[in-house]
Amino acid sequence: MKRLGAALAVAAVALTAAACGSGGGDGGDGGGASGEPVKLRFLSLAWQKESIEANKQIVADWNTANPNIQVEYVQGSWDNVNDQLVTSFEAGDPPDVIHDDSPALSSFASRGFLLDLTGKVPADLQNDIPQAAWDTVTFSDGKSGQGVYGVPFLQESQVLIANKKLLDDTGVRMPTPDSPWTWDEFADVSKKLTKKGAYGVAWPMKSPVNKVLNLALNFGGTFFDTKDGKTTVKVGPQEREVLQRIHDQLYADKSADPAALGMGTADPLPGFFAGKYAIVPAGVYLRQQVAEQAPGGFEWVTLPPLKGQTSQQGAVSQTLSVAADSKHPDEALKFIAYFLNGPNQAKLAKGDWLLPTSTSAAKDPALTTEENGWDVATASAKDLVVAPFLKVNGFDEWKSKVATPAMQEYFADKISLDELATRLVEEGNKVLERYSR
Amino acid sequence: MTAVAERPYGRAGGGPRRGPLSGSGLTLLLPALVPVLLFSVGPLVYGILLAFTDARSGRNTETSFVGLANFVELLSDGDFWESFRIGMVWGLSVTVLQFLASLGLALLLNQDLRLRGVARVLAVVPWAMPPVVVGLMWRLVYHPDAGLLNGLFGSDVDWLHDFSLALPAVIVVGVWTGMPQTTVVLLAGLQNVPRELYEAVSVDGAGAWRRFWNVTLPQLRPVIVAITSLDFVWNINQFSLVYVLTQGGPGGRTRLPMLFAYEEAFRYGFFGYAATLGVAITIVVLAVLGLYLWRQAQEGN
Repeated sequence: MKRLGAALAVAAVALTAAACGSGGGDGGDGGGASGEPVKLRFLSLAWQKESIEANKQIVADWNTANPNIQVEYVQGSWDNVNDQLVTSFEAGDPPDVIHDDSPALSSFASRGFLLDLTGKVPADLQNDIPQAAWDTVTFSDGKSGQGVYGVPFLQESQVLIANKKLLDDTGVRMPTPDSPWTWDEFADVSKKLTKKGAYGVAWPMKSPVNKVLNLALNFGGTFFDTKDGKTTVKVGPQEREVLQRIHDQLYADKSADPAALGMGTADPLPGFFAGKYAIVPAGVYLRQQVAEQAPGGFEWVTLPPLKGQTSQQGAVSQTLSVAADSKHPDEALKFIAYFLNGPNQAKLAKGDWLLPTSTSAAKDPALTTEENGWDVATASAKDLVVAPFLKVNGFDEWKSKVATPAMQEYFADKISLDELATRLVEEGNKVLERYSR
Repeated sequence: MTAVAERPYGRAGGGPRRGPLSGSGLTLLLPALVPVLLFSVGPLVYGILLAFTDARSGRNTETSFVGLANFVELLSDGDFWESFRIGMVWGLSVTVLQFLASLGLALLLNQDLRLRGVARVLAVVPWAMPPVVVGLMWRLVYHPDAGLLNGLFGSDVDWLHDFSLALPAVIVVGVWTGMPQTTVVLLAGLQNVPRELYEAVSVDGAGAWRRFWNVTLPQLRPVIVAITSLDFVWNINQFSLVYVLTQGGPGGRTRLPMLFAYEEAFRYGFFGYAATLGVAITIVVLAVLGLYLWRQAQEGN
């Protein structure tokens, strides 16, 4: 009680301060026209060293070329960006340009905090990014319409990172983007790679939900069903495929190490380098840490995504959005259009070891080289489709309260697949109901 | 009681009794009253009112009065009860352990040791640290790869992310953080115990244990009741420490009620429901505290 009270008081003070600040800062009304440069704040979530450098460099270039629109780089963090944004949105003083990812945009869009960019994005940028990527940022506006609430720029796909020597020793077929492993083949290979003290695969499942939901599309599993505007959770045979297959590797085939379950994505790397795990499924960005930390002489390869009925994976994009409360939305869009042009997206993608949405950036030679698996990673972008959960209002709460603990227990073999399905659906629907009121 | 009633008549002038807020009295009170009303009572009342609405985060939301609907929802909210249970386990165990450890430390510091002054200062040091700094520091201690603890024991445990170890690990930090003020208050209490009492029981042939049990404890009783009640309220409302350490994870195993309310408000945007949580927790804390103080008063008589 006291805390909320205090928070509200702080918000009130912040509001007053913001009102005073904007009154004084503009130096009289129409400050922009009288030659004062427009000031934009850009909240960036870049965290890898190369990526922060690329971000700052692009901002600096812009500021030099545009003395009338000065952009201030504000460093944020993925850990708490959404809490931070809620408070700054509520206080009416958000950053003008906001870096976030598409799962977060849905709820901000429906609450009216973000500017609808429909028809405002310059044609060059609009055409450089394929429709599949725009779909990841198209959401309901909380009333009856739809809008585009961000510009998608970096995407992630799930690939396999493998110890080349162990694969060669076993003599398994090397998959290629045109002929990837199927899940069955993957299960076989993992068994062959499992020897005394060494496992074929390590599934780091500290945050299992997005991983499972994105891979489930391999078998057409969507996990959500929307009828007449009402969304419910569904866990049918298609959704169960990937869950069951991973579980089998852990407990039936014993080709996956149960001790890796509690790990975050990067945690299996020491075991991977030591030859304890032959294959680590991971997002393409993990290649950066592998390349940087691998001991001398260690040979590794990036293998293309697995194939179920299809190779489709749910795509989540990093995005740049404009706050609805921004006083200079047009200038903010101009900055975004520059920041995300082909050459800059190539720089950002290289900095974060992710895939650019820009089709011209994807042709950059640095992103198609065989070195560090860039060719395989970039090729996997073609199978990215919009993840169904992106459009679900209340997904974040479903994920943290219901799905994460339930999936962790399932993978730890504490509950059965049926129990998992029941929990995901029953408890899940209760959560989603709060958002449809 | 009578003394209070008599006071107005004892005043110089002896005129008719005046109301407490008439005329110039009110004017004089204003400067003090305004900040209190604006920054303390205002938000508090606003928060209580929010608890009876369906207020949500958003620019285009409409807020309406929903009566007790939030409280009804709360009663059937399994996550709330789980969080409440964790809060109680946390609040009680931290308070009890804190008290026991502090009592030991206070007794030690009350002895005629060499460098007693230095020791006393050292004992108070954690008090000077903000909870966020304490949290960051202990996160390093618990770090699975580079942490002090695993280094010391040669173990390989991810203390803050293990489902069964996270809560105990956080409780240890809670105890550590709250010890200074408990120790200082108990130490002050110890120094107020009259020496004659100890001399008297020594004459009767009582050993150290009897002296402690029959003199120190009864003499300290009012101080103990006061500091443990305050500690309990403080601990159950703890937020920043646990937020920095675990953010309520893993899988909600350290999600104290205040973290739960924070998530409801600032992560999911249900301001009304979060306010209800706040009100409910306040009521429960007051009830627990009331019961405890009432029992202590009974035994004291």
